[in-house]
Amino acid sequence: AMAGGLEPHLEALRRELRAPDPAVLSVLLALLAVAITLLIWRFVQGRRSSRQAVLLLGLCDAGKTLLFARLLTGKYRDTQTSITDSSAVYRVSNDKSANVTLIDLPGHESLRLQFLERFKAAARAIVFVVDSVAFQREVKDVAEFLYQVLVDSTVLKNAPALLIACNKQDVTMAKSAKLIQHQLEKELNTLRVTRSAAPTSLDGSATGGPPQLGKKGKDFDFSQLPMKVEFVECSARGSKGEEGDADFEGLEKWLAKIA
Amino acid sequence: MLDFFTIFSKGGLVLWCFQGVRGPAAAATAPVNALIRSVILQERGGNNSFTHEALTLKYKLDNQFELVFVVGFQKILTLTYVDKLIDDVHKEFRDKYRNEFQQKGTLGLLNGTFDFKDDFMRLLRDAEESSKVRAPTVMKTFEQSLKSQKTVKCMIETRGEKPKEKVKNKKNKGSKKEGTEAVAAPGKASAGDKQLSTAGDREELTKDEILQKNREEFFKRHMKAGEKSNKSPKPEAQKEKGKKPRVWDLGNSNAKVLDYSNSATNGSAEACPVEEFDPDTALGDRNREPGRLYDLEYESNDETEEEKVIQNPSKPSAKKGGLGGMFGMLKGLVGSKSLTREDMDPVLEKMKDHLIAKNVAAEIAVQLCESVAKKLEGKVMGTFTTVTSTVKQALQEALVQILQPQRRVDVLRDVMDAQRHHRPYVVTFCGVNGVGKSTNLAKISFWLIENGFSVLIAACDTFRAGAVEQLRTHTRRLNTLHPPESHGGRTMVQLYEKGYGKDAAGIAMEAISYARNQGFDVVLVDTAGRMQDNAPLMTALAKLIAVNAPDLVLFVGEALVGNEAVDQLVKFNKALADHSMAQTPRLIDGIVLTKFDTIDDKVGAAISMTYITSKPIVFVGTGQTYCDLRSLNAKAVVAALMKA
Repeated sequence: AMAGGLEPHLEALRRELRAPDPAVLSVLLALLAVAITLLIWRFVQGRRSSRQAVLLLGLCDAGKTLLFARLLTGKYRDTQTSITDSSAVYRVSNDKSANVTLIDLPGHESLRLQFLERFKAAARAIVFVVDSVAFQREVKDVAEFLYQVLVDSTVLKNAPALLIACNKQDVTMAKSAKLIQHQLEKELNTLRVTRSAAPTSLDGSATGGPPQLGKKGKDFDFSQLPMKVEFVECSARGSKGEEGDADFEGLEKWLAKIA
Repeated sequence: MLDFFTIFSKGGLVLWCFQGVRGPAAAATAPVNALIRSVILQERGGNNSFTHEALTLKYKLDNQFELVFVVGFQKILTLTYVDKLIDDVHKEFRDKYRNEFQQKGTLGLLNGTFDFKDDFMRLLRDAEESSKVRAPTVMKTFEQSLKSQKTVKCMIETRGEKPKEKVKNKKNKGSKKEGTEAVAAPGKASAGDKQLSTAGDREELTKDEILQKNREEFFKRHMKAGEKSNKSPKPEAQKEKGKKPRVWDLGNSNAKVLDYSNSATNGSAEACPVEEFDPDTALGDRNREPGRLYDLEYESNDETEEEKVIQNPSKPSAKKGGLGGMFGMLKGLVGSKSLTREDMDPVLEKMKDHLIAKNVAAEIAVQLCESVAKKLEGKVMGTFTTVTSTVKQALQEALVQILQPQRRVDVLRDVMDAQRHHRPYVVTFCGVNGVGKSTNLAKISFWLIENGFSVLIAACDTFRAGAVEQLRTHTRRLNTLHPPESHGGRTMVQLYEKGYGKDAAGIAMEAISYARNQGFDVVLVDTAGRMQDNAPLMTALAKLIAVNAPDLVLFVGEALVGNEAVDQLVKFNKALADHSMAQTPRLIDGIVLTKFDTIDDKVGAAISMTYITSKPIVFVGTGQTYCDLRSLNAKAVVAALMKA
């Protein structure tokens, strides 16, 4: 039946081919070539843009670069404040051939948004590293950065999995993940009110203000977000100091789940 | 003598570290972090040294492989070999580990062991030795100096005899040089004399003869003086007789002498020597056509051509160069070319002029371009990118970086915090005359009222006529817009004033305690405008701020200001720092940029102000109604700035 449907079309095509009008033929061929190229192009693009990256975000001195080094090599390295991003392919420890690209972004205030802009489209997952020792002091800054990440339009659209890694647990004064979660929720609750009330931007681009985070009327909760959020405790330096291994099984398991 | 030397990647991994004279490893981290934060990230990279507490840090960026080299040494030492050492280490390190960088990328950095210690010690030793080699210069002995070659005679000045003496000097020196070596000093004069006699000069003046001559001249002079003194009482005597009209020298002579129109007497043609008239030098070009007027040399064509060559190596030069040009073009396109200073200079010049045309202060435009040049030097350009586009991109990133706030800009959040602690949140507005402090204060209080906070306005401008009335009018209007009924019976805005001529700091303190008693959420303190050079007024402002410790000190600046912005901010900050008793003085915390609607896209003032203070722009005023308050959008401002 299919062949029967195609026959008259094939006949028409053969007639066209036999017709001594090269112009129409060449136009048809050109169009066909263009169509095939476009299809291949979109296919390739689609493959490439399957989001492969895991972003390491956080404030300055949270421990992102050390975490990056530990995940990739397992060794301890001295670090300084990062000025640019570093990226490398990370192989998950199981035998799954899955691998993700780990991207370590600088945390400095003047750079963080620029780099986030650059890499947010490729993010499959985001690891937000928090300094558990200095958290009490920095809670407002942590919350502000987290808020900026969460209301970003691309992030809301793609909804990458979010892991909040409470780093520096080897220090005795470190806060627990539960406490950090609780404090962040309270802080984000306040922030969404103050941020939406801020004076509008110069060119009035934010029409109607930034998007609403979570549900209106109810207190903010991480479960209200469109993406999966988890909290995990880890220590990049490790309890045995620089010689030993890092303490981040939770992080590694989560990465294995994501890949 | 070095404290430490570190090499780390721009991504943050320390590749190699050398601990010099003292200190545990951690001592290197803090100063280097401070260096990164204040210099590199704030685009002050023009000058390559930085002082942090007791250390001086010098650094060098490698933009090709994304490395940073930092050396630290004690501030009190002045080591001259450090610059050269950094350059040598840079070259050696890069050449030695070129493979790791190019091929393995980040993993190579992570896994590689950079065993550089021996090379570094060798380079350090070479550098130290080269600085020592130049031994302190040995002083010349007396015999070697020129002074010993002068005789005593020639140092005596006699009038009218000078030329001969000079001739004699030269003869003496010449004879000396031919003849003997070092002669003992006291024997100098006698030796000179002997030499004179042996040389057989014509006239010799012995000391007696010199004395005789001197005496004659003295008498002559005395005679003249005597005549003069004779003369002087005469006119005085004449004067004493009665007031006489003044007699001018030339006035006595007849007008004919003064008549220069007639060339016969003065300025005669014969009096002037006839110049040698050389037609070649006068007319220049021998080949010119007589009577033709040539055009100006038109040079702009060459300039644009040059630019085009730099910008698009693929264009005309390729055709002209033939085969070699073709390869050059292809190489330029494929992009393994690294940027040099010469390539970037014309582009940076243009960008600098463009920025200055957009109202960025001149010194800041220069510093910014320097910093961008440092960041791009040696960088390898990507495929199909031109120098102009790379530089523009880098400059754009730098500008966005500057405009990003270094600290949180959320006034409402902080007000809520203060509310919880049951104390008012105090904001002080300062600035020069006529920038819009009172207007923007009213706008900000409107915004705060809309968000449900009650505001007390403290009229601490006790100088300008009508300042208190202005604020009273604003208060009345705001209360009409937001009557107490709609806010649960609470007056949302109130004015605290004590008239004119009083001390501003005292009024502010009273206003704050009044607000605390009455439960107001925010206190907005309006101060008088003052010029940054006016020392007593700056002292008064500093006192107000130091005594009352406001939560936020806002500097109000208009967007129309040009190079003045730098001066204003520097002097305001300096005054606040100088007159504060505390260890960490309260400086300007934020900037309010006003009159933004009057500039179209000449938004450079925003850059100047944030660059100088590295504090964020908290509000932008765009008009005179209450709704004309905006927050800064860094990307829009930079886009307007870079727009041609």
